[in-house]
Amino acid sequence: MRKVAIVGTGLTKWGVRAATYKELAQEVSKSLFDDVDNLNREEVDTLVVGSALVDRLAFQAYPAPLVAEQMGLEPTRMCLRTEMACVSGQAAMRVAYTAIASGLSDLAVVVGIEKMNLPNLAETQASMACVLDREWDGVNGLNAPPYFALVAQRHMHEYGTTREQMGLVKVKNAEYSASNPYAHYSKRVSLDKVLSSPLIAPPLRLLDCSGITDGAAAVVMTHGEAAKRFTDTPVFIEGLGQATSGSLVSNLKSLTTWYPLKTAAADALKMAGVGIGDMDLAETHDCFTISEIIEYEDLGLCAKGEGGRFIEDGQSKIGGALPINLRGGLLCCGHPLGATGVAQAVEVTQQFKAQVPSERHVGGEWGLCHNLSGSANNHAVMVLHRGG
Amino acid sequence: MVSPDERFAFDFYPLESEQQTRIAPFFEHLRQGRLTTTKCAECGLVLWQPRVVCAHCHGDRMEWIDLPSAGTIYAHTAVLAGAPVGFEKDVPFVVAVVQLDGIDLKVTARIDDARYEELRIGDPVRLKVISLQDGRQWFRFVRAR
Repeated sequence: MRKVAIVGTGLTKWGVRAATYKELAQEVSKSLFDDVDNLNREEVDTLVVGSALVDRLAFQAYPAPLVAEQMGLEPTRMCLRTEMACVSGQAAMRVAYTAIASGLSDLAVVVGIEKMNLPNLAETQASMACVLDREWDGVNGLNAPPYFALVAQRHMHEYGTTREQMGLVKVKNAEYSASNPYAHYSKRVSLDKVLSSPLIAPPLRLLDCSGITDGAAAVVMTHGEAAKRFTDTPVFIEGLGQATSGSLVSNLKSLTTWYPLKTAAADALKMAGVGIGDMDLAETHDCFTISEIIEYEDLGLCAKGEGGRFIEDGQSKIGGALPINLRGGLLCCGHPLGATGVAQAVEVTQQFKAQVPSERHVGGEWGLCHNLSGSANNHAVMVLHRGG
Repeated sequence: MVSPDERFAFDFYPLESEQQTRIAPFFEHLRQGRLTTTKCAECGLVLWQPRVVCAHCHGDRMEWIDLPSAGTIYAHTAVLAGAPVGFEKDVPFVVAVVQLDGIDLKVTARIDDARYEELRIGDPVRLKVISLQDGRQWFRFVRAR
């Protein structure tokens, strides 16, 4: 197997954008080609597009060739779209990794795009609810916020996690997004503001939830020998893990322990030959404040049930045990489903290349990206290493 | 002005007739006030939701069994905003995971007669069958008194 590196990154501004799905593809294409030296469109043999709900939200099927045209690409080896709900982005990177490692592809563009804001947001909500089992869970009004509200209620019940601890996750991520011009929400918030924001699905309030956001993110990936043609600092994908268990909410083994995350993280770290303690920074899937708390626990950063204490003690901030979600996470960047997994890798890459503002620059050598989907029944973890 | 409901091509409720699904008896049982599921006639495994092929042994002979109509709240929340198309008029409403009595099986359902603050984990609830406007059946729970 060949080594696989990320050699360049692209981002659009994220938010409620006055732009279509196709226009986001054009914008991210410009950003990507501006970033990468020596990147010729003709040499890109593979395009993988991570889009979760494009069929419903942009009323557009078969998006990969359409995105290729928007980006000016004519892939000669592979062109496809990946769909794994909120993990569609990291899934796209896994497909490109596999193609490059095997020799099927030499140079791949991976792009995650989602256009979420429609004139009628109830339609967006309906499409989101169909990520769950539509006939048996969605039918009861379950959707992302109420599902993660059940998770939060159980975590508070089982471990004594507090509302304040959950709120501190948002406060931290907002502090970092203040230096991220691409973020949907780039204002600092106080704990009081989080705890007095409107209830959406109790115990979760508006500021416990990631936003409904339009946006795109992209990376260029190539094999180890070619990487130096494009950058002095290639970022190598050294470990990958993905695990999936169950679908129906009432059948999940646990609401508060994410077993597939444990499996995916263990596999990715083992493949990379490192431990969680070797990481210098991490991007974890904070779709809701409670999610990040459970991720501390199931990534092994603290004991089960101690995730609330971990944020309270500042352990996930710069200077703590492991700085997490330095771009502001999903909570502040927003969550354009298919774009999120790619944007997490963009942040780690830009951290290693010192392309982020000094306020949130950590750098280092090892980074971890964690992306989850659905009823937290699918988790993907990627371990990145700075080369050069 | 066309209402959002009329513009929406699908609704969330399952198609339940014999022409559309092989688990049509589930809905017929609901009409009789019974919550049921399938048990594999080969290996005896009881699974939720009802199925036509066993996930354990791939046996394809299923028997219908009655589930308890009583249970307790395992977890609950309420939809106060951001409801999907078709449910906007129902806001606010309570959604719960219900642990059924006497069997290791949970189901997701709406709790129809209570506000979020009125319920606690462990509170007893009982089955309530509802009829949709077009005659299809679905189930919810209400507080047991």
